[in-house]
Amino acid sequence: MFVLIAGGGRTGTQLALLLVAQNYQICMIEHRRDVLARLHRELPTEAIYEGYATDPQVLEQAGIRRAQILATCTDSDADNLALCFLARTRYNVPRTIARINNPRCAWLFDDKFHVDVALNQADILASLIEEEMSLGDMMTLLKLRRGQYSLVEEKIPAGANILGIAIKDMQIPEHCVIAAIIRQGEIMVPSGKTVLEVGDEVLAVTDRAGAAQLARLFAPNNQLVAGSS
Amino acid sequence: MNVIVVGCGRVGAQLAYRLVQRGHQVTVVDQAATAFDNLPPDFHGRTVEGDVLSQGVLHRAGIERVEGLAAVTNADSLNAVVAHLARTTYGVANVVVRNYDPRWQSLQEAFGLQVVSSSTWAAQRLEELLYGSEIRTVFSAGNGEVEIYELEIPTTWEGHTLQELLFEAQCLPVALTRAGQAVLPAYDTLLKECDVVHASATLEGIQTVHRRLYPQKED
Repeated sequence: MFVLIAGGGRTGTQLALLLVAQNYQICMIEHRRDVLARLHRELPTEAIYEGYATDPQVLEQAGIRRAQILATCTDSDADNLALCFLARTRYNVPRTIARINNPRCAWLFDDKFHVDVALNQADILASLIEEEMSLGDMMTLLKLRRGQYSLVEEKIPAGANILGIAIKDMQIPEHCVIAAIIRQGEIMVPSGKTVLEVGDEVLAVTDRAGAAQLARLFAPNNQLVAGSS
Repeated sequence: MNVIVVGCGRVGAQLAYRLVQRGHQVTVVDQAATAFDNLPPDFHGRTVEGDVLSQGVLHRAGIERVEGLAAVTNADSLNAVVAHLARTTYGVANVVVRNYDPRWQSLQEAFGLQVVSSSTWAAQRLEELLYGSEIRTVFSAGNGEVEIYELEIPTTWEGHTLQELLFEAQCLPVALTRAGQAVLPAYDTLLKECDVVHASATLEGIQTVHRRLYPQKED
């Protein structure tokens, strides 16, 4: 698989290193002198092409016609959009991935400019922080499906509402499953009859809304969880 | 006409001012408020400060109600992206794009946009003017790839035909003016001194014709 990357800033470089480590064939296009100096220390020379990514001639020489994926990681949203559009309409690149710099431009990163996947760093970070704030003691262990679902862990505190209630009688949110309970260091696979005890660590697979509801469910009696609605 | 001008540099400010002078409703958008200093004091169109790729800014500029948009910033990909958006998402009827750096012209053309390249056009005009004053450009099509030239027939060509003058040059006759009377020219018309011929030609074509009319000036 050949991946063309436009822009050798931190995002582009990180992506390139990741792909090189997985034996992908890559080519990174960059024109800034100082950035190139750094790139040459980090990437194999044959994976670097010096020139402006927005110059169709440079794209062609860097191999856009045989690229399966174009990843645009420049710091200009207009460049990233124009590149994805050009890649699809002129060179039939099957898949385009674009970095969003300014969250206000996010609405443009779709079919309008033939962007297949848009990565909004600011958005991902903001929603992570927001989630951490709203979920109290709940910890996210793993993100599934680009963050729509996650595996979360929560310790049952003293005075929790659900103490003494069997799982089947709790109002477990719709898109949420309790996958395991860690009780005194031992993993238990719960059934509907299982009753939670203080200090149990509950592992659940849930969507965002479910995580917030679960956090409320497990909260101690008269304590509100920040951010609950 | 309701028009948005994106970019308030030298070109944008002048374009916006001209449109306002002709009675059009103009909104100028630029991300830097200081750019609006380029507008003459008596400019009375609207100005909107902000990133033109933000939906809020576009709507504030009234993109849903305009008939024309000119993207004239000095960032070529930005011009192309804004113009494409105006045309496809908002259905703006007249969309034109300025090309700033000739290297990115083909990127802009990939969007199927009308591109005006001031630097290419100026370089071409300057080149023509350097070749002499016997031939004047009177009309320029596209970005000057084809232009209509005015040629004065010198004594040396009296009695020859247009066929001989334009033979296999990239040049077509448009009009022949003799003593103030213009006619549609025929290739076999015999030329007279002081005839004025208007011809449509590429730069290469007009150079060929120029060499034929004034051979002595070539060495």
